[in-house]
Amino acid sequence: MAFEVHRQHLPLFEDDGRAAATDDEHGRDRHYLPELPAEDPYAAGHRTCAGCGPAIQYRWVLKAAGGDTVVAGPTGCMYVANSTYLCTPYTVPWAHTPIASGGSFTSGMAAGYEAMIRKGRYPGPFPNIVVMAGDGSASDIGLGSISGALYRNHDALFVCYDNECYANTGIQVSPTTPYAGMTTFTPFGKAIPEGKKLPPKNLAKMMAEGHPHCYVATTTVGYPVDLMNKTRKGLNHVGAAFLHCYTPCQKGWVYQTSMTVELGRRVVESGLWAVWEYDPEERKYHYFHPPVQRPVTDYLAMQGRFGHMLPEHVANMQVAANQNWQDIGMDVPQNLRDLEDPERHRRLKEEEYSMPLNRGVGA
Amino acid sequence: MTSVHVDHGLTSGAPPRLAPAVRTPDGEKFLNGMAGTRIRQNGCAAAAYAALYANVDVITAYPIRPYTAIMMNLAQFIADGILDAEYIHADGEHSQFSAAFGAGSCGARAYTGSSGVGVTYGYEMYSIISGARIPIQMAIADRTLDPPGDFGSEHTDALCTRDMGWLLGWAATPQEVFDKSLIAYAIGEDPRVLLPQMVVQDGYFVSHIAGEVEMPAIGQVESFLPPYQLPFPLDPRRPVSHGPQIHPEQGPPLQLERARAMEDALGVIREKTDEFAQVFGRKYPHFVESYKLDDAEIAIVISGGHSVTCRAAVDRLRAAGVRIGMARLLWIRPFPTSDLQEALRGVKAVGVVETNLGLGGASYGGILSLDVTTALYQMDGERPLATSFMAGLGGETVPMSEFEWMAGKLGQAVARGRVEKAAHWVGFED
Repeated sequence: MAFEVHRQHLPLFEDDGRAAATDDEHGRDRHYLPELPAEDPYAAGHRTCAGCGPAIQYRWVLKAAGGDTVVAGPTGCMYVANSTYLCTPYTVPWAHTPIASGGSFTSGMAAGYEAMIRKGRYPGPFPNIVVMAGDGSASDIGLGSISGALYRNHDALFVCYDNECYANTGIQVSPTTPYAGMTTFTPFGKAIPEGKKLPPKNLAKMMAEGHPHCYVATTTVGYPVDLMNKTRKGLNHVGAAFLHCYTPCQKGWVYQTSMTVELGRRVVESGLWAVWEYDPEERKYHYFHPPVQRPVTDYLAMQGRFGHMLPEHVANMQVAANQNWQDIGMDVPQNLRDLEDPERHRRLKEEEYSMPLNRGVGA
Repeated sequence: MTSVHVDHGLTSGAPPRLAPAVRTPDGEKFLNGMAGTRIRQNGCAAAAYAALYANVDVITAYPIRPYTAIMMNLAQFIADGILDAEYIHADGEHSQFSAAFGAGSCGARAYTGSSGVGVTYGYEMYSIISGARIPIQMAIADRTLDPPGDFGSEHTDALCTRDMGWLLGWAATPQEVFDKSLIAYAIGEDPRVLLPQMVVQDGYFVSHIAGEVEMPAIGQVESFLPPYQLPFPLDPRRPVSHGPQIHPEQGPPLQLERARAMEDALGVIREKTDEFAQVFGRKYPHFVESYKLDDAEIAIVISGGHSVTCRAAVDRLRAAGVRIGMARLLWIRPFPTSDLQEALRGVKAVGVVETNLGLGGASYGGILSLDVTTALYQMDGERPLATSFMAGLGGETVPMSEFEWMAGKLGQAVARGRVEKAAHWVGFED
């Protein structure tokens, strides 16, 4: 006789406008939630860089998931920086997987628990099963493996922590590296002044469109409550869920270490990252419309990886951002439309802004 | 590499035990009806029946001939309600083996398999799974690697994984496939070993030719193969970390540990093979089948299904007065160095049948003779001469006449006191 598989249900955190930023006057900086769970399955003491975006994301995701959780981590910076033999920061079971195996190994974990509970081997409840894969793993070498897992609809949460490069190996281009993002495989030079020529792959849309039965969402480390609630929604969804999270990499992007969370909002406010949720029941996307719409330069000028951009490159980026605004159903204000003109820009490193700038060039 | 990370206050105590897996009512009924019968089935079916008897929890599949029939059989068992297991249709062999690895890491008994280029497509996973000490089982019905596209049997696929830390057993008949699958799980899951296993059968010659297979009672299987208990599962009740990054100075002891597990498996293979004989009444040699080797002057060393023809050739040659015998390797990893030395003691010349490619290797022939000659070199006393024969490549049969030709070459070597060369290409030489 088969045993019933009981599944966990995690309550959502109170949102009240803090899940995603409003504006400066209305609590844009309010994101601290005193009622957060005390447990930290991702404990302190790891070796990530100061201001590491993925580490912030790891902490929020595992805090939201809680103790009855099993985690997999494909090769990437969050493997190497977190786990050291005989000393890892996880108080929940964790396993390294090969970089291409994020989806497949996790499928096996989920299938293992399904079978073991059903066959009376494991008492249950079904643990939260989470994999956190970097963008290289999720959008490149392990894309097929994650797609396979989503297609098969294993009850697990597949997270891509996206720092827009292969950071672990020394900042190489990945499919999610933005246009003109400098990496060590896309350096700028006389012949290729923009560095990376290609626009990024839209990983989350691919996952939602291709696996319409899955819960799919995007977020950034700029919106912790949103990140934690989407984690819980993904885990509560019976079946596969995919969460794509923007996580700045201080080492790879070259910015002031205190600006990680700020970047997580500016990228949204400049139209370069859409925060949305795909509801598989309704088969609809729900886009977050930020109350602030900024020129892309407000975002780009904070990061050394864009410091080489020439006026025409900045204008290209504004064109892309304006297309993104339209994609999520927002109007493009005239000032942003005007900035599609290269004549309106200087070299990025010569721009002046009120926020911390990176005057350097390079990653 | 697996390390057990104990977090103070949270995770002390013994590892949580997993209960025995229940079977479906239809599965019990089906297997009870089977008990004690002999049915004709091919090697693929035999492997699938063994996995059914082992009550595997997770099966990961990706199609490639000829092993596919194993997974087809298992899919049907599940569809018929005879087996309760999660069946993952993977997106490729790399994912397929990774998924089995993930399931095994949680404490589920996992079963996978492949053939030919499928075996090599997933190559990254072999060292990782054995290093993590997760004892999943993989069935291989071997197949020639591309190019060119060829369905035929050749041993290269399985043999090129030989140094990755998997137990590598070779079966020559469907009955042996069935038995070896159960024996291999018992050895691999033994806490003294904890290594993944490959149970190899020759594609088509064994995988697709029927033989009689005796079906045991469930009780026999369960008394021989207890429930899988990984000592360090990914279990929220006792958190562990698997596979953290190491510093270079931590490498040598970890590699030594894995190497010793392979050495320790030698004793466990003997033990489990004997235990199997007690429970099931079929007694296999531990490592080497010695056929008419007692007074042999020349010997063929072989593995897999071509041994059936070889045995007949030995009989015919014996009838003609040739003192020939055969040593068949039942396990290639761990390599049975001492058992092979004993089997070949007193033989004057040995020829290894290589149904595989070892391009540019020391013999300029195949893979197997490198191990065989190392074992012979380490023998006390007089060593036999050694050569090898490239035969049966691409799925070609190795007919009696070729074994007779090999015997001729070995006879010449004895007469001359030296071998002509390290590797002969049978059919291309006089």
